[in-house]
Amino acid sequence: MELRINGAAYQVEAQADTPLLWVLRDDLGLTGTKYGCGLAQCGACSVLVDGVVVRACVTPVAGVEGREVSTIEAIEDDPVGKKVVAAWVEHQVAQCGYCQSGQVMAATALLKHTPNPSNEQIDAAMVNLCRCGTYNAIHAAMHALAQGEKA
Amino acid sequence: MDTFPELAKLQAGETVNLSRRRFLAGTAVGALVLGFGLPLGIPRVQAATHAERGTQVPAFLEIRPDGTVRLLSPFMEGGQGPFTAMAQIVGEELDVDPANFVVESAPPGEAYVVMENGMRITGGSMSVRMSYPTMRRLGALARAMLLQAGAEKLGVPLAELSTTPGTVVHTTTGRSIPYGELAGRAMDLPVPDPTTLKLRDPATFRWIGKPVMRLDARDKSTGKAMYCIDITVENMLHAAVQHAPRLGMTVGGLRNEAEVKAMHGVHSVHQLPGAVAVVARRWWHAKRAVEALQVDWQEAAAGATVRAMPADFSSDRWVEHLGATQGPARDEEQAGDFAATLGSAPTKVEASYHNQYLNHAQLEPPSALARFNPDGTLEVWLPNQAPDMFRDDIAKRTGLDASQITLHSPLLGGFFGRHFLYESANPYPQAIALAKAVGQPVKLIWSREEEFLRDVLRPVATVKFRAALDADGMPIALEAVSATEGPTEALAGKQGEKIDPTALEGLSGKAYAIAHKRIAQVYVKGPAMLGYWRSVGNSLNDFFYESFLDELADKGGKDPFELRLHLLRDNPRLTHLLQAVGELSGGWKRGPFTAEDGSRRARGVAMASPFGSEAAVIAEVSIENGQVKVHDIWQAIDPGSIVNPAIIEHQVNGAVALGLSQTLVEEAVYVDGMPRARNYDLYPILPPSRMARVHVRIIESGAKMGGIGEPPLPAVAPAVANAVAQLTGKRVRSLPMSRHTFS
Amino acid sequence: MTRRMKTTLGWLLLPCAVAAGLVTWYVTREPASPFERTQVAIDDPALVSRGEYVARLGDCVACHSLPGQKPFAGGLEMATPLGAIHATNITPDADTGIGSYSLADFDRAVRQGVAPGGRRLYPAMPYPSYAKLSDEDVKALYAFFMRSVQPARQPNQASSIPWPLNMRWPIALWNGLFAATEPYADKPGQDALWNRGAYIVQGPGHCGSCHTPRGLAFNEKALDDSGAPFLAGALLDGWYAPSLRADHNTGLGRWSEADVVQFLKTGRNRHAVVFGSMTEAFNNSTQFMTDQDLSAIARYLKSLPGDPARDGTPWQYQDEPGVAQLDRPGAHTYVTRCASCHGMDGKGQGEWMPPLAGATSALAKENASAINITLNGSQRVVAAGMPDAYRMPAFRAQLSDQEVAEVLSFVRSAWGNHGPTVDPAAVAKLRDHTDPASSSPIILQMR
Repeated sequence: MELRINGAAYQVEAQADTPLLWVLRDDLGLTGTKYGCGLAQCGACSVLVDGVVVRACVTPVAGVEGREVSTIEAIEDDPVGKKVVAAWVEHQVAQCGYCQSGQVMAATALLKHTPNPSNEQIDAAMVNLCRCGTYNAIHAAMHALAQGEKA
Repeated sequence: MDTFPELAKLQAGETVNLSRRRFLAGTAVGALVLGFGLPLGIPRVQAATHAERGTQVPAFLEIRPDGTVRLLSPFMEGGQGPFTAMAQIVGEELDVDPANFVVESAPPGEAYVVMENGMRITGGSMSVRMSYPTMRRLGALARAMLLQAGAEKLGVPLAELSTTPGTVVHTTTGRSIPYGELAGRAMDLPVPDPTTLKLRDPATFRWIGKPVMRLDARDKSTGKAMYCIDITVENMLHAAVQHAPRLGMTVGGLRNEAEVKAMHGVHSVHQLPGAVAVVARRWWHAKRAVEALQVDWQEAAAGATVRAMPADFSSDRWVEHLGATQGPARDEEQAGDFAATLGSAPTKVEASYHNQYLNHAQLEPPSALARFNPDGTLEVWLPNQAPDMFRDDIAKRTGLDASQITLHSPLLGGFFGRHFLYESANPYPQAIALAKAVGQPVKLIWSREEEFLRDVLRPVATVKFRAALDADGMPIALEAVSATEGPTEALAGKQGEKIDPTALEGLSGKAYAIAHKRIAQVYVKGPAMLGYWRSVGNSLNDFFYESFLDELADKGGKDPFELRLHLLRDNPRLTHLLQAVGELSGGWKRGPFTAEDGSRRARGVAMASPFGSEAAVIAEVSIENGQVKVHDIWQAIDPGSIVNPAIIEHQVNGAVALGLSQTLVEEAVYVDGMPRARNYDLYPILPPSRMARVHVRIIESGAKMGGIGEPPLPAVAPAVANAVAQLTGKRVRSLPMSRHTFS
Repeated sequence: MTRRMKTTLGWLLLPCAVAAGLVTWYVTREPASPFERTQVAIDDPALVSRGEYVARLGDCVACHSLPGQKPFAGGLEMATPLGAIHATNITPDADTGIGSYSLADFDRAVRQGVAPGGRRLYPAMPYPSYAKLSDEDVKALYAFFMRSVQPARQPNQASSIPWPLNMRWPIALWNGLFAATEPYADKPGQDALWNRGAYIVQGPGHCGSCHTPRGLAFNEKALDDSGAPFLAGALLDGWYAPSLRADHNTGLGRWSEADVVQFLKTGRNRHAVVFGSMTEAFNNSTQFMTDQDLSAIARYLKSLPGDPARDGTPWQYQDEPGVAQLDRPGAHTYVTRCASCHGMDGKGQGEWMPPLAGATSALAKENASAINITLNGSQRVVAAGMPDAYRMPAFRAQLSDQEVAEVLSFVRSAWGNHGPTVDPAAVAKLRDHTDPASSSPIILQMR
């Protein structure tokens, strides 16, 4: 099947029910998208499909044929994603960093649809788990992004 | 995580009965061999003097033509920040901006044994505090070599040269040469005598003690950071395992091996000790196929080398059993005459506490990649806290000489004590066996479900407290008897000569002036395999002690904050710390009070003295839908002196998150010998919605440098519990609080 | 007492005594079997093979085997309102199993619920349905158990039902009222396929055990298509087994025959994925049926009319703008916990993640299935030896009763769904009485 990922077309041979996550990681070598739980519980595998954040571990690859998939590898090609990364660095969000690809993708998805989210909207969208407890740093970075867009 | 000192009880073959605190204070240097008769490969560190250790500059540093510095760190990066700290410390003396560093994990080897206790591990919150002088000196040695090379190149006396960041400068002429141009020549020079070096005056530090940006922040925000699970090598196959439902069980036979072999993408099917494996072209294929394998599991044989999990094990019943277990107890700490004081005291207080098992639940599932090279050597990539120990264990398992083994230590996707050498809970022996069997490199990933099945657990304890108050309501005697097994003695499989300090730390080592005390352990060997979990014994024991201390305050009619100040009146460091956290919170205010949003709230206070640092916490809570909501955590922490205040603030946030997680929601429940949770669905960890605001004050008292990764955790649970008791009148004597309903 | 009265009493007592004697005889007798003194060639491979297939049709293994134990050695605990009972050892072990059973003994147990000696089985054993098994199938089943199943020495466990409720003889009276008595007979006017389907559904498949509502005496209200309640949907053991009739909302009204076949063969189709107690029926029984038999079942089920009055307004998909409204109760939980798999549009993902829009569990009056699977997740669906790629997580440790009630009320009111709202008390009740599903595949062996 043909997949469109980060603006490029890829031919992959995968069974229809294979999770997008493992096609990205093992077939295409895009290992920035992480495996954490395989059960849509943690969000480490978050990617964008047609601009909407989805959890790649529970996305059968057949369902994204003909749709536009964006992963962390191309995050800085997106103007919103670039700002998110800058804020993540500025606020020194990452600790172990394992969940942060997913956090950055979730943040980008929110800001693409809602450039000036309220605190409630931030809290509602930023639900991925982080075992290192970077939640406050994430919130600070998101708050700054929301304010920055307003300014 | 405060692991190895306790294991390393023997020095040069003779018993040394060092208390942990003394050991951590660095009194023990020398050849370390195994304590407890453990089958663990602690490296036999050659007797080495401080002067020799950490001086082999070329082993650590590579200065590239463009001036960037590649530093091999003796310590692993798992988020706690040692890579950045090492760059700050070395860079300060080398005179290179830490931002120009590229830091990677050093391989195993004696050159990297830089800790003052003669070891090299990442754990026990020891990395920076145990290597700080050595790593400074390393930077200074390298700078001296660059200066020497500069003198030779410019043909001027050494005394006329100085440095600016990244550059050797001739002070009189202003001529300068970038480090990158001198490095080749400098690294060929002999390393100077360290005693001739003069280190930089701390008053002139540019990077040490400053909030230097993390070196890994960008890579970790763009998906470029590589963890073990991400690594690939040419011609690599993928593997997944299905573990025996209970530890110790073995493979009796496979019912459908032929069918599974025929499944899509499957390369081969394998039987391993206590597990079956499928090797496939893709991990997803391996994972699905191995789940499809129908295995006849046999009960553990009598002589099983691992701790066999009984079919009827229940974690709830085990805690009840601990609570019902009577003596004999061994004393860890004794002062005054507890029994006599209690007997004659006007007021007596008794209470019994317990905690819960916990999983590590780091976000990166365990993995290992093994490759046998044509020359017979073996390369292994695996997440670890102690490369020498792991390499030696691999040597033992494979029969290879250590020199034939290359060990790579990638970034850790979560630390928390998970990456120690746990006999039953590491994937690399399986990966090596599979690579050997298939004659190709194999990367093995444990699915989240397999990880929850094999992860080692944070220990449980039941503690019976008795205490006496004098006529004024002041505590004068306190006894804590803990029925428990510590992680170190669990790994050893038996009780050691001395009490396992990781079992009682946090009950012992408290600074309060209570004249008569007894802290003792009833050793109860359990059926579940235990491990180290961030802040180890302190993670439970400070909850018990500091909660009970509030009970004493209430019984004696004292304010718990004032009582602590009273009991610390002769301890200026802790008095200052406690006052600092009070101040940080806007002044001690116990409540209950009504907050601006109309909710009823109260605050609790607690302290802890873990891993060489001191911590004090105030928590503010309310009750929402019958459950505890923690609004704010104020934490004052005194690690003596610091390297990076920004990283410390983030570490405090992280430790608070984990502390809240174990307080509010987390527990590993076993029923019928099996963990109820095999994923995060039934093992909830703190979600963002339950995180508290965190306010940090760092205090540099100038005391000997302490740890940072773990110390901010232990006081969180008791501060919350004390606030809840004040708000609801209900004293919580067990965790997590999700087992209780509040109104 | 006067003499006259005594006489009268005497006259009254006599028939009572006779009646009592008759009743005693009736409730303790061993009923007749057509197989008295019949020998069966248990070594006939064709017969044994047919017997194994009948055992699959009847899903004997789901109750009579436990994971990790010997096949058919019994042990599954079944909760009844009176106490727990345990499925028995039906291996051919002479002492603890059925090794000493003659074919007639076996027949009486399977089709009439009577053990040797006249002891009545609890109707947890679905003999009211098995009564419809053909003589040939009973013989084959006997041959399979005697020939292919390994004897396992495992004593049966006593029930925990207290005296006097544990007396078995009243069951005989219950049987007289509620159990079928004759093997299935082809219905004239229907073709062979339909009749084969009716035979499997009513007989060995015992679909009505779960899908037919029960009366006050815990009896199935209908045992065949002559009764409107037959397979009209029922609540049992914390799950709502939906209607298998042509009901648009709660039944198979929107399913084609091919949908039914695919569901029973692969565990999933575009409408639904098996879950709850159906997982056991699928894992151990329906997927092993021949395509011909599955087609027969589909033909038969699709012939059962629905009841619009019971089923309510026919569901139609509607766009749901409310998903994005943070202040709508349950919407945020749906977006963060459910939408990854079931979609913001509630349509699921292909056949892998079932739609919630139009799902029976979201349209039925009964909410047990919706609550149960949300709290406890699903058992693994194992199709053709391969465990499912995706499973439903258990949310009991993460969501409060209130949150579960809100998210389910949201699901039951979104996308045109119109199931009644869910009360937190109903969640609390099920939470107390259920356990989370195992995340490991459970594969029960028959040999």
